[in-house]
Amino acid sequence: MIQFYLAYQPIIDFFLLAVGFGYSQQIAFRAGVFSIATAGFAAIGSYCVAILATRTEVPIFMTVILATLLAAAVGGLLALPLARLRGAFQAIATLAFVQIILSLLLYGEGFTGGALGIVGIPREVNTWILLLVVAVTMYVLWNIGRSGMGRVFNALRQEESVASSLGVNIGKYHIIAFILSGAIGGLFGGLQSLYTFQIEPHNYGFAFIVNILTVVILGGRTTLLGPIMGALIMALLPEIARPLAENRQAVNGVILILVITFLPNGVGDEIVFWFRRRKQARQQRKRASEKEARDAVTSS
Amino acid sequence: MPSLHLENVSKHFGGLKAVDEVTMEVRPGEITGLIGPNGAGKSTVVNMISGVLALTEGDITVDGVSLATDRADVVARKGVARTFQNIRLLPEATVLENVLIGFHRREEASILSQILGLPAAHRETRRFEEKTWDLLRRFRMEEYADYEAGNLAYGHQRRVEMMRAIAADPDIVLLDEPVAGMNDVESEELATIFKELAASGMALLLIEHNVGFVTRLCKQVYVLDSGRMIAAGSPETVIRDPQVIAAYIGTSGH
Ligand SMILES: Nc1ncnc2c1ncn2[C@@H]1O[C@H](COP(=O)(O)OP(=O)(O)OP(=O)(O)O)[C@@H](O)[C@H]1O
Ligand SMILES: [Mg+2]
Repeated sequence: MIQFYLAYQPIIDFFLLAVGFGYSQQIAFRAGVFSIATAGFAAIGSYCVAILATRTEVPIFMTVILATLLAAAVGGLLALPLARLRGAFQAIATLAFVQIILSLLLYGEGFTGGALGIVGIPREVNTWILLLVVAVTMYVLWNIGRSGMGRVFNALRQEESVASSLGVNIGKYHIIAFILSGAIGGLFGGLQSLYTFQIEPHNYGFAFIVNILTVVILGGRTTLLGPIMGALIMALLPEIARPLAENRQAVNGVILILVITFLPNGVGDEIVFWFRRRKQARQQRKRASEKEARDAVTSS
Repeated sequence: MPSLHLENVSKHFGGLKAVDEVTMEVRPGEITGLIGPNGAGKSTVVNMISGVLALTEGDITVDGVSLATDRADVVARKGVARTFQNIRLLPEATVLENVLIGFHRREEASILSQILGLPAAHRETRRFEEKTWDLLRRFRMEEYADYEAGNLAYGHQRRVEMMRAIAADPDIVLLDEPVAGMNDVESEELATIFKELAASGMALLLIEHNVGFVTRLCKQVYVLDSGRMIAAGSPETVIRDPQVIAAYIGTSGH
């Protein structure tokens, strides 16, 4: 067990961080927002922690809290100019946001260390802390899923005009979705910086965006299991496909295309949907037999 | 209970006067009919009242308070609900979930209590679920509670829309062809429910092509043709109006 942990610890940690970023990405999709701003939120969170942890006396725990709050606030503000955009336009605008954040990090050399980034960040985060934070995040998302907010997100994703005809203030809920996405992205960005010793703008560039989108698209856009399955595939793939290591990108691409074609909802969502449909079928049978019993009583 | 007034309301799409200086009233405790041939402007009226379309001219008020410039969600929160002529459901959600979202405007649990999963949030959800079951029983849809709405038969989908619209006890309900595509038995069942809703004090606006159905249910009927109000009054007088007869025979002869 211990040996297994030691051998696979980097993979497990990579997996847990990817799950966290996946949830930041997913909460936007759940609310029908095509944001890919997670990379920007993660960068904000990780730089906030790195700067505070290396240059101030702020307790480590507080640096993470501040990073979460800062990224949440930026998320909320970002939602305002984007309120009227949908679909591809939202994606482009949030991509522009990530570019702006990365340029600020590159050119704010005095403050951010420019292209070289920041080194010497204390390594305070381990697997257990990551596990704990992922669990807390899942708990919060589980609550949201069962609450009015979750119902509104589902409605916005499926049919915005219905939601607004029932009194849903679309702008308000998009802001909430961006704040949640920002908070989760900033939180895991902060943890990542306390894990990797060194960060640079490059960490949150194109590859990061593609990885996180892949996690959610492979895993699923609506269920808690989604990002877990997506991140699991992403973490295990290089291990399983070691003989194909040179063609890693190609293997990733092929798997992505296969999943999109045959499991369009993503592996995790499809699993949850399968169980859900089974349960629904059971309930349907139960209700039908109840009805028969009632009809028999009334007709006799 | 408040009533709904339209005062010289117009909607122009470029050069087309889809609705032209329409004045009408939808009173509480009654079913008010709105009929007219295809393209007369009936749905456009509903879309303007519900805040989906902006008015070109005129004013819409509920108890003297203007709705004319409100967004759709604001209109809904003021107690004006609607259904859609082309059914709009949450296709992936179950019937139960589709109706549950109808309670949105009654939600009081704070965002924090929802995020933390506090008992207040759970209690509220449970209360709405119980009310949803009451509605399902009333519309004889219990056995379909766990069906995905997108898989239902047409008539059942219309009922889901109805339940969702009335879930939060609106004062005014706009029904855009709610029994279209239903058989006689099904439409009679809904007619009974419409009468009950009116009797409970709601103001209902009913758009429907079946003139017989409208004349049986409505006290007051308005007739639109090419955006203009060509007749208004009791069903008996309206169906004898030569302009109305001409409008119907002149187009499709319903
Ligand atoms: N968004 C729009 N843009 C341009 N023209 C429109 C728009 N909506 C409706 N129209 C036009 O306005 C007129 C009235 O349409 P409306 O849908 O209100 O008619 P209706 O009385 O509901 O007809 P039906 O009985 O077929 O539902 C039609 O000529 C229609 O083509
Ligand atoms: Mg219409």
